[in-house]
Amino acid sequence: MSDREKFLEKKMSSLYPKETELESRGAHFNLNAPVTCSVTTSHSVAVGFGDGSVRLFFEGDKPRTIDAHNGVVLSMATNGEYILTGGDDGRFLKISQNGDIFEIANFNSRWVDTVAAYKDSMVCSSGSNVYIWSEDQQKAKSLEHPSTVGGLAFDQNGKRLAVSSYGGVTVWERGGRRWTSKRLVWKGSHSRVSFSPDGKYIVTTMQESELHGWRLRDKVDLAMRGYPAKIKSFAWVGDTPHLATSGDHQAICWPFDGKDGPLGREPVCVADCGKQISTFIEPLKGEKAIFVGFNDGTVLLSELDENKNPFVIRNPKGSEISAIAISPKRSHILIGDSEGNILWSPLWKNN
Amino acid sequence: MNDMSQVPVTVLTGFLGAGKTTLLNRILTEQHGQKYAVIVNEFGEQGIDNDLVVDADEEVFEMNNGCICCTVRGDLIRILGGLMKRADKLDAIIVETTGLADPAPVAQTFFVDQDVSDRTKLDAIVTVADAVHLSSQLGEHHEAEEQIAFADVVLLNKIDLVDDKAIENVQTRIRKINPYAKIIKTNHCSAPLNEVLGLNAFSLDRVLEVEPDFLESDHDHEHDDDVTSLSFVSETPLDMDKFQTWFGNLLQEKGQDILRSKGILNFEGKDDRYVFQGVHMLMDASPMGAWPTGKDRSSRVVFIGRNLESMNLQEGFEGCKVA
Repeated sequence: MSDREKFLEKKMSSLYPKETELESRGAHFNLNAPVTCSVTTSHSVAVGFGDGSVRLFFEGDKPRTIDAHNGVVLSMATNGEYILTGGDDGRFLKISQNGDIFEIANFNSRWVDTVAAYKDSMVCSSGSNVYIWSEDQQKAKSLEHPSTVGGLAFDQNGKRLAVSSYGGVTVWERGGRRWTSKRLVWKGSHSRVSFSPDGKYIVTTMQESELHGWRLRDKVDLAMRGYPAKIKSFAWVGDTPHLATSGDHQAICWPFDGKDGPLGREPVCVADCGKQISTFIEPLKGEKAIFVGFNDGTVLLSELDENKNPFVIRNPKGSEISAIAISPKRSHILIGDSEGNILWSPLWKNN
Repeated sequence: MNDMSQVPVTVLTGFLGAGKTTLLNRILTEQHGQKYAVIVNEFGEQGIDNDLVVDADEEVFEMNNGCICCTVRGDLIRILGGLMKRADKLDAIIVETTGLADPAPVAQTFFVDQDVSDRTKLDAIVTVADAVHLSSQLGEHHEAEEQIAFADVVLLNKIDLVDDKAIENVQTRIRKINPYAKIIKTNHCSAPLNEVLGLNAFSLDRVLEVEPDFLESDHDHEHDDDVTSLSFVSETPLDMDKFQTWFGNLLQEKGQDILRSKGILNFEGKDDRYVFQGVHMLMDASPMGAWPTGKDRSSRVVFIGRNLESMNLQEGFEGCKVA
């Protein structure tokens, strides 16, 4: 072993102690099914699994298991109170905090790929159609798109709904009972979609290893490229927001402040994990910091500052991080991976 | 990711009425002890009911790389990704395509999409052909020719409805388009499933097994649009740089017409065998270990496509030999 290798090994072992603080004080579960999605409601952290189950994790109470779908839980959203799920059994479900299940719709062999919630609006997509159930309407309003829907997102005040598909994004705007649309065009397949918190930009992840964005005021295109892998996760962080993204050996954080957002600017790169590829990003609310999950199961916590060292939150267990969620009162963190391992741990000492 | 974690995917093509549904029903109902998921298209024939049947849209889109023949099946990326999240692991996945589908975007999806190629691998393209109607379909539809051209296995079905002479004729037609496909003659798609699934035909190792069933070469005024095949052998080692330049340019310029290419190459100064296989402009190549001792080190390349005669393939290949 060369001196350099010895040095690296020593460095790695100090970086990866046997058990991290959060691992030693947390609860560990293996649920034998991939963790596919998670959301934080005002009462719990809800987690979806590849065997169709949904589990609710409460601060200071035992988790609750709900047999929801007869297949993979593909998507999940919340309005803060109830949870919406879409499954590969074709069902679109509404699940209450005490585990009551209400089937909103059943598309049979067509999957419910994406779901979204805003106050009393419940939205899902199946194939190229989006269906919206609003409080004052019994029947779903159906919105058609040129091809299969890849992602759904409401803006901050629930007025606009962005729907991504092949070749771009359709932005629907609600005016009373009518929805009008405009189309943002960019070649290729778009999946996850999100409005910036100020509502000025829309960003999508693409089938290629890149992001695409539009400034809505003038439809100026933003291409965010240079990733070695697909971007599976992104999140807005901070008041003058950065878009923190996975898909590289670290988290790539694009600045969206100022007049032109990331146009012509360099991203902030934090939470470097060597050869591993980041697969999940979750902000620590109230701080300019993110949890970054990697394909080997490592989770790092880093401030959005290239000069600060990241903390190791979870050691590698071998399979990729597919969910990170912070509990409603910010007391606990949930980390899930594609092998069904869950860590549920108090974030702070003496919690 | 190693091979063990990749679920094999069989692509099932064939014109409407050829017998795809019969085969799918067998795959779903026979007691084979395997867990198969079947992805069907929305215009598919009715009558299959099983919770491992997934509806797809056959949505083909162009990639954002400026190449018009780099089309992929977007729905496959989505569905294969979803199937990989299942708690119970699948033994294989079967993708049914509509009768008129071009198999290229399906195959290309496995070449270009990282998530798909990490977790699944293209096992083989199986084309079900109707012994009664194939000859006329080949004359009338580009798609029928392409489905034969792309096939690793042709299930020549309904042979009980035609006489021996007609079977012979239709086999000759198939061989002329694609001398490398294995032809299995059946009634009611009754071929053993292990001759159809789990073939590993797209594996680079298998390129070495390409033993074309050569026809007497007949270049008698083929229609320009006909799909044909050409193959070349060289006992002289090839110059790696020259080959890469020639082959790279060839795929770049003529990739639309070259449906499939495969080869095993002996490069001057290299102990390893190099193998490749391509679909249109996309290809996969790698060294495959040393040449067996005491055996001839000959290079061999094969092309299946349209207008091959116009590409000066012979001269191009000859030009790659070391001087």
